[in-house]
Amino acid sequence: MASLAERELRGDGQADASARLARLEAAFADEVRKSETLARVTEAVASSTDIESCVQVVIDGAREISGAAFGAFFYNQLEPDGESYALYRLSGAAPEAFANFPKVRKTPLFAPTFENTGVVRSDDITQDPRYGLNAPRRGMPEGHLPVRSYLALPVATRQGEVLGGLFFGHPLPGRFTARDEILLVGLGGQVAATIESIRLTAGAIAELDERRRAEERLKFALDAGRMGSWDLDVATKAYEASDLCKANYGRGPDEPFSFADLIATIHPEDRPGVLTAIEAAIREGADYDVEYRVIHPTGDLRWLHARGRAAQKADDGGVRRLAGVSLDITERKRAEERQKLLVNELNHRVKNSLATVQSIAAQTLRSISSPEFFREAFETRLIALSQTHDLLTRESWAGASLREVFDVELHALAGEDRIGFDYMADIRLTPKAAVALGMGIHELATNAAKYGALSTPTGHIAVRWRAEGGLLRLIWKETGGPPVAPPSRRGFGARLLERGLAAELSGGVELTYDELGLVCEMALPLRALEP
Amino acid sequence: MKTLSSLKVLVVEDEALVSMLVEDMLTDLGCAIVGPAAEIDEALRLAGSAEIDAALLDVNLGGRPIFPVADALKARGVPFAFASGYGEAGLSEDHRGAAVLQKPFREADLKRVLEGLVAQTA
Repeated sequence: MASLAERELRGDGQADASARLARLEAAFADEVRKSETLARVTEAVASSTDIESCVQVVIDGAREISGAAFGAFFYNQLEPDGESYALYRLSGAAPEAFANFPKVRKTPLFAPTFENTGVVRSDDITQDPRYGLNAPRRGMPEGHLPVRSYLALPVATRQGEVLGGLFFGHPLPGRFTARDEILLVGLGGQVAATIESIRLTAGAIAELDERRRAEERLKFALDAGRMGSWDLDVATKAYEASDLCKANYGRGPDEPFSFADLIATIHPEDRPGVLTAIEAAIREGADYDVEYRVIHPTGDLRWLHARGRAAQKADDGGVRRLAGVSLDITERKRAEERQKLLVNELNHRVKNSLATVQSIAAQTLRSISSPEFFREAFETRLIALSQTHDLLTRESWAGASLREVFDVELHALAGEDRIGFDYMADIRLTPKAAVALGMGIHELATNAAKYGALSTPTGHIAVRWRAEGGLLRLIWKETGGPPVAPPSRRGFGARLLERGLAAELSGGVELTYDELGLVCEMALPLRALEP
Repeated sequence: MKTLSSLKVLVVEDEALVSMLVEDMLTDLGCAIVGPAAEIDEALRLAGSAEIDAALLDVNLGGRPIFPVADALKARGVPFAFASGYGEAGLSEDHRGAAVLQKPFREADLKRVLEGLVAQTA
């Protein structure tokens, strides 16, 4: 301003004084206008929240300040063939003006701008030694806006990253002053700072957004897995629990739930173990993994599995926070308990079955006259036992009916069709009673096949039973077989029926060796038979 | 000192075939059999009043634990052993450490256990 005023005042004639003063006032007014424009643009740029509007405000404002006919911002972008620069915003010309050449390359003329090495200001760019060097066009392409005055400046961050370039042009030469250059370089710096700040803000917002989504995903996963989450401040014992975590301890979302409440809810027998595990995790910074029982305020007993780890270390290396998840595992625990019982029960049954087989072997050996009969006698008894087991397995060892037991023990016998049944109602048997009666029926049937009614083509067996007065009264009566006489000594079958079966089923079993055929009468209390 | 040949042994066993096997073994050893009882009530009656030197008790009697019978014998000072498919794991707290015959067992195992019981009272 001072140099301009001095130059104007050194003129010769007083006559020109008023004209000079007028020129001076006009120059001053122009300078004021530029300053006001600069202030307005600076403010608009600073308050921009998106890059597009920021750039538009700047090129519009810069054109107003410099008197440029048109202005443009090209931004830096990476293309597969190297860097090139795409038109981003335009001022003073319709977008169609650049429709045919939307990108520029890093030619010697453009390089200083895109490499951030300096401002290019030319009174007539067509006279610049760098102009028109590049094939195929050697200068501005046909249809390009007419440019003589030229001003180009880089837009770069303080770290030197080039964001793009600002370009201004005018069809007439000598339009851009050094003063314009200074003002526009200042504006360029503000554009760079604003773009950088907008980018940072967008980055921060995206990061926050990603964190919020990650948190939502985590919560969803925890809810879906019925996992409660918790966080314990080791020093203050301040305890934070999610709604699901509180529910694991029988508390509602709005009920208070402190660390002391938690400890008090744990089953007294499990409390010392949990406290020891928490102390160890805090002392050693180790993982915390413990299963324990809790007693809900309603009195419900539940099993929980809690896992956690030191979430934050203090400056002295100790643990400041312990955080983790808790899960209700009551169903799993009950299933484990059931499984344990089942395995125990299975073991018991297997051992008992082995003892039964041992007994069959020992007594078969005792009752046979010669060892060569052992195998046949032992195997048929073993298979009889196995058939009752098959029947019970088909019914999941819930029991079997008396008729079913008869059927599985008799079906392999020749003359099965010569056995007649007479009963009002079938009887439901416990597995134990089914096994015992199965063995007894097997002994009766094999005896009949060897010596009794089924040893002749015409013999017949009548099986009749009734349930009366709390007793099962069953009669097995053979007819049409060879004449029967009492045996000289009691064999395995007779002993099993009259002694074993009678004792096991708390009743009476009597064998009568009638001349017409064997009769077996049983009177067994239903309480010893029915499930 | 008592010998097995004069021993009166109460047998409580609810499975006919196993009971018959035990009776045979005891007979071979020269013992006299008391019972066998297949039900708790009968077993309790015998444990309370019969003349018994020792007892062999099946742990599980038709789903009911045998321990009341064991308690009655203990009160009378009659030595007893358990016979069980569960082994020692099937015993209640009170009776841990009692003599146990794991089913199936041999006559020699039964003899050894009975001799142990007799030595207790000798």
